[in-house]
Amino acid sequence: MSKLLRRIQYLFRRNRMEADLAEEMEFHRAMLAREFPDGAGAARAWGNTTLAREDSRAVWLGPWLEGFWRDLSYGVRGLARERGFTAVALSALAIAIGLNTALFTVFNAIALRPWPVKDPGRVVNVLRRIGSGSRAGGLDGFGVAEWRYLTEHTKAFTGLLLTRNGERVEVDRRPLSLTWVTGNYFSVLGVEMARGRGFLPEEDRAQAPEAVAVLNYGTWRNDFGGDPSIVGKTVRLDEVPFTIVGVAPETFTGTSPLRVDFWAPLSARRVLRPHDAEVLPWLTSLDHCCSSMAGRLAPGFTREQGASEVELLMGQLHGKSEHEGGGAVITSGTALLESPDSQEHQVVPALAAMFAAMTLVLLLACANVGNLLLARAAARRTEIAVRLSLGGSRGRLIRQLLVESFTLALAAAALGLALAWSAPAAIAARLEPENAFGLTPDWRVCAYTASLAILACLAFGLAPAIQATHGRIAGALKREAPLRFSRLPLRSVLLAAQVAISVMLLAGAGLMVRGLQHAQHQDPGFRIDQVTVASLELPAAAYSGQRAKIFTSQLQNALAETGGLPASGLASDVPMENSRTFTDIRRTGEPPGRERIVQMHDVTGGYFEVLRIPLVAGRNFTPGDAGRQVVLLNETAARSFFGADSPVGKTIESAGKTWEVAGVAKDAHTTDPGAIAPTVYWPMTGRFNLPHVLIADAGAASRERIAAIVRGLEPKGRVVFAPLSDNLRSQLEPARYAAMLAGALGLLALALASIGMSGVFAYMVRQRTREIGLRMALGAHPAQVVRMILASHLRALAWGLAVGLAGASAASRLLRSMMNGVSPFDPLAYAGVFALLIAAAAAASAIPARRAARVDPLTALRWE
Amino acid sequence: MTHKPLELLPGTLDTLILRSLQRGPLHGYAIMQALRDRSDEILQVGESSLYPALQRLLLNGWVKAEWGASENNRRARYYTLTAPGRKQLASERADLERMMAAIRQVLETA
Repeated sequence: MSKLLRRIQYLFRRNRMEADLAEEMEFHRAMLAREFPDGAGAARAWGNTTLAREDSRAVWLGPWLEGFWRDLSYGVRGLARERGFTAVALSALAIAIGLNTALFTVFNAIALRPWPVKDPGRVVNVLRRIGSGSRAGGLDGFGVAEWRYLTEHTKAFTGLLLTRNGERVEVDRRPLSLTWVTGNYFSVLGVEMARGRGFLPEEDRAQAPEAVAVLNYGTWRNDFGGDPSIVGKTVRLDEVPFTIVGVAPETFTGTSPLRVDFWAPLSARRVLRPHDAEVLPWLTSLDHCCSSMAGRLAPGFTREQGASEVELLMGQLHGKSEHEGGGAVITSGTALLESPDSQEHQVVPALAAMFAAMTLVLLLACANVGNLLLARAAARRTEIAVRLSLGGSRGRLIRQLLVESFTLALAAAALGLALAWSAPAAIAARLEPENAFGLTPDWRVCAYTASLAILACLAFGLAPAIQATHGRIAGALKREAPLRFSRLPLRSVLLAAQVAISVMLLAGAGLMVRGLQHAQHQDPGFRIDQVTVASLELPAAAYSGQRAKIFTSQLQNALAETGGLPASGLASDVPMENSRTFTDIRRTGEPPGRERIVQMHDVTGGYFEVLRIPLVAGRNFTPGDAGRQVVLLNETAARSFFGADSPVGKTIESAGKTWEVAGVAKDAHTTDPGAIAPTVYWPMTGRFNLPHVLIADAGAASRERIAAIVRGLEPKGRVVFAPLSDNLRSQLEPARYAAMLAGALGLLALALASIGMSGVFAYMVRQRTREIGLRMALGAHPAQVVRMILASHLRALAWGLAVGLAGASAASRLLRSMMNGVSPFDPLAYAGVFALLIAAAAAASAIPARRAARVDPLTALRWE
Repeated sequence: MTHKPLELLPGTLDTLILRSLQRGPLHGYAIMQALRDRSDEILQVGESSLYPALQRLLLNGWVKAEWGASENNRRARYYTLTAPGRKQLASERADLERMMAAIRQVLETA
């Protein structure tokens, strides 16, 4: 054991140890020279310096390591000699490994890396499963009142906390984001403040709210100049003074992937939004939901015990008869699952598709390099044969070839890691400037990259190494190229694999591009052109809750009373803005618990007129509907709740009230370009927020008049106008990026495949030079020779194409959500793939074919 | 008369080095001199076997090395026998002597 330790010590202090040895031997030589002044004697007594040094090193490295060392330096020398091969193989591998590592870095940041808190293994997300049994739906959070009950009764958790993010506040006219947290947030997580303190329990009481806040470290440094005396100072959030009690440590950026500038206690929401009548019920009533809950498991309790305790307590709280109890789910404390409703559904499939694509790129690079290695090994047949015939063992040779591959893979991994260091942060900054992921690679990323390199090395190196050392020595020594290949040559399999993978990647990219085109030209079901959206900017503190409702009805009346304005309508959210509000409803007569989730928009009748969405049954909203219990359904909702019957005049149940269906609107993509969800339109009341105003054909004059109406109602108000088509463009932005990324990957795949193919063809020409020369000497035309060369691999190409197409059509099912309704068998996308691939194959074969056609018969026949 | 230098039997060099260190620390050159002088110049140890052997002894922990001043005031590396080294020498020496007795016996009687 101590021997092993000394060996390891040697590895770390090698330079020092070797210098010692050198000096000691130098001393020895000097002493010899003194004793034998005539040089001859000294040289005889001295011996071989290099050998002595190498042998000394071998003592420490041990026989196995010493051999490895020798193979490594041999491999490096070999790679350095063949620069072209090394450059191609290295860049292919480095790009593939780099892309995989970059993706993994992102995945690591959102899904694997635990929150930077004390003992993160005990900190978990607590989620509620909506519905039960076969109708189990998505995951959701908990209400404040529910959290309070759970906190008071739990034994499985030493602490439970609640967070709710996404409150925008203005500080010195800069928009910043605030996250509401329970008073125990920092103490349960065990976050040590960089300055000041976390919240105290008495600072989060619904009846006695305190205006205190904790600052994010980055915000403190950037927006507050790192003011060392910030603690105790007052900062005005939306003009409401808050006292800063602490600054979070640099490592802690919150428990969600979203950026947080301030944390404040839940109850402080009453101070920030004094006019919002919903805040107090949100803090105290059981009817309000849902914030994200996390907790620290008590010692000795498992996640399952925690989940069943939460289920039990929720059942107690809501009474057994309630369907509310539901199931509880506990997951690791990482950012991905923090807000399940919004994150999980979008991020996970996208990540899965990306991982699949990146794995394919890596496999492609491996097949590629494997093929190049095969060609190289064929060129080294003589060397290998000589070594085998001189008694080198086959295992030893395979090891040496593998070490060479390993060197290549390791160098590629280093380059890839460098790529991954810079790429994800740049990509993430473009895609989602709001996020706060830590995207620097950590040990997990390095371990992932290293294992990728080792797997890749085995994938591309092992088979060629085995094949290269296989076969008869005598034939190889005579450079006797075998005229018959084995039935399934490795080279053809690798070639087919390359073609198949490229086809899959290209087809995926093609389909996504087609999906994007389709979405840009599809009929959204409503008018986009010449519709203007007017968004109101009013002092947020004053305009929430009841005040917003009053303002909404005043605005509605003012717009209706002012003559000569173009048609206009109010809406809670702008079409294609990708903002979704859900509620659950059931048909009157269905038992409670049969609720289904629908999308909801609050609108006025003008909404349907401006957007030209026709009503297929019943009537539109009238101004008098604002306080009445009527709704409109879209066709999908009508079908889903009432089947073939006309829903007009029938009723639905929602939030404990009964609503009459006044009419049915034609289906339209009012939320996003994807599938149309069941949608319920409610009369606009301003209950959520201030409405947007949609205006048809708004000229400059009518815009000014609308702005004047708003100012008349609220002198501080401002109106921002934007064309509705802007929304469609930003809606398609992620799809555009995805298509761009897929296209780039596809081109990369194509480039890799072309390099691979041209490598194979070049090798074939080299291997069959003699045969080609013979045929040409006997009068074969160069074109015939070229055809012969290509024909032998046509079968591999055809197989690759077939497998690739099958794989692509299977994979396209996964991509369906990103294809906006384009068929997975879209002929145009596939035709494009074929054209590109054939062009690439032609290009790849051009150079080797020309070389083959130019083979001089005499030279070729004399070639050994 | 001078004897023709002989190659050492494999495996004996380590034991001889340990034995030469029993009287006290020596540097590499002094070890070589000691082996040569005490064998009446029969045992000539080349440096290409001496230094790897010393590294082997270091690796096994039988000797330790320290820099010190040589007799002519140059920096030299002195090797010292460790406790495990002493134990190793005792057992190796016994083995070696039995081996040599056996060889002599075979040479004289056969």
